[in-house]
Amino acid sequence: MRRLVFLMLGLFSLSVHAVTLDDLQQRFSQQPVLRAEFSQQRSVSGMDQKLNSSGILVISRNDGLWWQQEKPFALSLLLTDSRMVQTMAGQPPQTVTAQNNPQMFQFNSLLTALFHADHRALEQNFTLDFSDRGQGNWKLVLTPKTSPLNRLFKTITLEGQTFLNNININDMQGDVTQIRFFNQRTEPKTLTDAEKQHFSS
Amino acid sequence: MPRSSIFLPEHHRRLALGWLLICLALVAALFWLLPRSQINSSVLALLPKQQLAGVPEDVSDAFSKRLDRQLMWLVKPPEGAQRDNALNAWLQKLQKLPALQQVEGPMDDASQRQWGLFFFNHRNALMDAATRARLSAGAAAQSQWILGQVYSAFAGVSGKELTGDPLLLVRASQMAQQQNGAGMTLDNGWLVAKDTQGKSWYLLHAELRASSYDITSSKQIVGQLDALKTQFEAQWPGAKVLERGTVFYSNYASQQAEHDISTLGVASVVGVFLLILLVFRSVIPMLLSLLSISIGALAGAVMTLLVFGEIHVMTLVLSTSIVGISADYTLYFLTDRHVHGGQSTPLESLKKLFPALSMAMLTTVAAYLMLLIAPFPGMQQLAVFAAAGLSAACITVMCWYPYLAKRLPIGPTPGLGLILCWLHAWRSTKKLRIGLPLAVLILATIGGIRLHVDDDIGQLQALPGDLLKQERQIAALTGQSNEQKWLVVYGDTAEQTLQRLEALEPRLAQAKKEGAVAGYRLLGLPSMQRQQADLALLTQRAPQVAAELKQAGLNVSVANVSPQWVTPQAWQHSVISQGWRLLWLSLPDGRSAALVPVNGVSNGAAMQSLAQAMPGVGWVDRKSEFSGLFEQYRVMLSWLLMLAAGVICAIYLWRFRWPHGLICCIPTLLSLAMGVAALGLSGHSLNLFSLLALILVLGIGINYTLFFTNPRGTPTTSMFAVFMAVVTTQLTFGMLVFSSTQAISSFGIVLSSGILTAFVLSPLTLPGKKRGSNK
Repeated sequence: MRRLVFLMLGLFSLSVHAVTLDDLQQRFSQQPVLRAEFSQQRSVSGMDQKLNSSGILVISRNDGLWWQQEKPFALSLLLTDSRMVQTMAGQPPQTVTAQNNPQMFQFNSLLTALFHADHRALEQNFTLDFSDRGQGNWKLVLTPKTSPLNRLFKTITLEGQTFLNNININDMQGDVTQIRFFNQRTEPKTLTDAEKQHFSS
Repeated sequence: MPRSSIFLPEHHRRLALGWLLICLALVAALFWLLPRSQINSSVLALLPKQQLAGVPEDVSDAFSKRLDRQLMWLVKPPEGAQRDNALNAWLQKLQKLPALQQVEGPMDDASQRQWGLFFFNHRNALMDAATRARLSAGAAAQSQWILGQVYSAFAGVSGKELTGDPLLLVRASQMAQQQNGAGMTLDNGWLVAKDTQGKSWYLLHAELRASSYDITSSKQIVGQLDALKTQFEAQWPGAKVLERGTVFYSNYASQQAEHDISTLGVASVVGVFLLILLVFRSVIPMLLSLLSISIGALAGAVMTLLVFGEIHVMTLVLSTSIVGISADYTLYFLTDRHVHGGQSTPLESLKKLFPALSMAMLTTVAAYLMLLIAPFPGMQQLAVFAAAGLSAACITVMCWYPYLAKRLPIGPTPGLGLILCWLHAWRSTKKLRIGLPLAVLILATIGGIRLHVDDDIGQLQALPGDLLKQERQIAALTGQSNEQKWLVVYGDTAEQTLQRLEALEPRLAQAKKEGAVAGYRLLGLPSMQRQQADLALLTQRAPQVAAELKQAGLNVSVANVSPQWVTPQAWQHSVISQGWRLLWLSLPDGRSAALVPVNGVSNGAAMQSLAQAMPGVGWVDRKSEFSGLFEQYRVMLSWLLMLAAGVICAIYLWRFRWPHGLICCIPTLLSLAMGVAALGLSGHSLNLFSLLALILVLGIGINYTLFFTNPRGTPTTSMFAVFMAVVTTQLTFGMLVFSSTQAISSFGIVLSSGILTAFVLSPLTLPGKKRGSNK
């Protein structure tokens, strides 16, 4: 009897400290706005040079995702519920909507799902392997199970603690992309006027 | 040979024998024709063939035939682990059906690889519009775009891809293809549409081996598919199948027609036979009527098949109506034999009745032949069927019945008292002479006021609610409605057609921008002219792009710009034309055409003028076009009818002088008015078919007037025969009122009310009272 109580206590305390995917999703969803800087390195097989880029991103729970690459050239990607707009200097913006290209739109919506650790959206397309690395650290390995994702990616690995800190993408062709996020801020809790302009563009 | 000589026994016997030989020849012809003909049940086949937006007829024919053979399904499988099993089960079931060919479900990995390979091997020829625009703008636009793709973490550009295709042409054209995906996504090779609840519907496609007009095979295949569907939905709870295809509609139409023929036809025949049995109290008249009707039907079928090579189900339904008219000839003759059989020989009877019989036949046949004026194959078939059938039935009576009716029992004119009473009332009661026509006039006026005109061809086909519901669901899921609206681009050669298609492209984009259409589907097959221009552009830009990329730190080789021509033949045989082949047609003589389906048309006139402004482009909107045509012919027939009525009235006035001539016009005019008014009173609308029915009202109804105005005095026997004729006609045309097809039903309403009015009012034309004592 005593052992049983002890065991239950142990289980209870375990469940208090262990991080689960649901916890993460809940935590992320409680951040109305997240701002971060990123640096990305892509190693493309057969090319000696690594492709480095960096920039900032803003994720708003209500408005979507705005990804602004600043170096080595400006490129912005806006992702909302209804459309995806990619803008490059000197070119007309490319707009993809759920209607005119559901395939690509769905694919890019996964990006938002990644940042929100959106359980259900991810499970439709990936097998999830979530592990608690101790001290609040966690790791989520996504293995694509549907075509065409499974022909593009071997795995997508997310790592983080309070925030998402790293995304590692392993392509089927052996290419690797590492994205590091830092300087995450959740204040102010609403979009600034300047940020709002990006989302409404 | 003097005319009367046919009534000499030996001459007449020879005639009878000759007719027997002709009938045997007709039977032989029918057996020879039947396996070589088909029963057509397409509503559109009833419509005129010419005038299709100037598109060459063989092109539009080939396209319609092809489109009519297509079948598609959207399947919602049960959710979860059973999804793939259910989908594959459905696919396999379809593949096992012998009536289907080219059953297409998911694109397997091998075809997906072939697809990519074909694009790769022909990337210099299959350039997409966005790449063309970037390359035309300058090398910088393209190199910037490439950089964007390469740096993107999620675009997945690999080193291998960059080496093989440094300009990322394959990627660009595949992205453009996806833009064309019309609201559908790819999931494990399946094309998928999502409904508003987020449930996935998987697309399958197949083609019928036989034409969907083929009545027996379409009945069989629809039966099989229905069974499969029921079985599938029972086996996988939560699963649902939606279907689309002309075969479902044509099968429904032919089922309905079959139902009409069997119930209405049987009811007509049984009614007519019962009446004969009742009146003559002998089976001989019944058997003889059956004989003349059968020979009439035989001759009608053979002539129709000979002239048209097919028979339309609508013709068959309408043809049941000639049962009543062809029975009339038998009844004329038999009534006379029944009453006067004791006093005169059969040939004497025939000689006496010959003018009446031939006159009645000629006026009715003439009325039916007038239907040939309308360019509608269905009506033309009916005209040929009825003209041949009625003539044959009448000739049978003339040639054979003097011998066959020998054993007919003899008796007085049935119902003689009633007939005399009725005629007496007309002559002596002023109230009846004035009151009844006046009452009819009032009724006709009320009906006329309530009448409205509707030229919509949708009336022709009563669509079943279930199919319509599925159709709406499919349209909502795929964004592609079954509107039957498209542009046809054609040319003398494949190259000319493709160039015209490319010239059309910017105009269409403009029309879409202006909101005239919601969308369109353009073939992804470039003309040789365009391929050459694209290659020249590539040759110019490739080194510049490579240099710029190198400057940006991306070390790639200069793209290979060798020609990789794609011919229409190569395209057609490749996997990339899957789902597009239907839209391309090459005739053996090299003439080619492409179909551009258009949906969400809000401004048909704009599309019409767009097509007219370009050579080799036709705007096909079958429904509006035919509704317009219906109106045009309705108006034309109205004038024709008025002219005919006017001529008849003039003849009456000339023959009978004022005022009796004018009185004689009344039944004719009121029968026409009542025929139309009945539509208004019963809540139907006036269309072309009502006017075609009016022609028959005029042709058949005039007989009654003719008999009553016969100055030689009409014997009561003839009058009785007229009465019988009206009753049998009502039994047959009246039956059409109950047809489930609205067009046929309103045809029946006009005919039966018009003819009834003509009959009821015909005693009005009797000569004055003094002649009545002659009877």
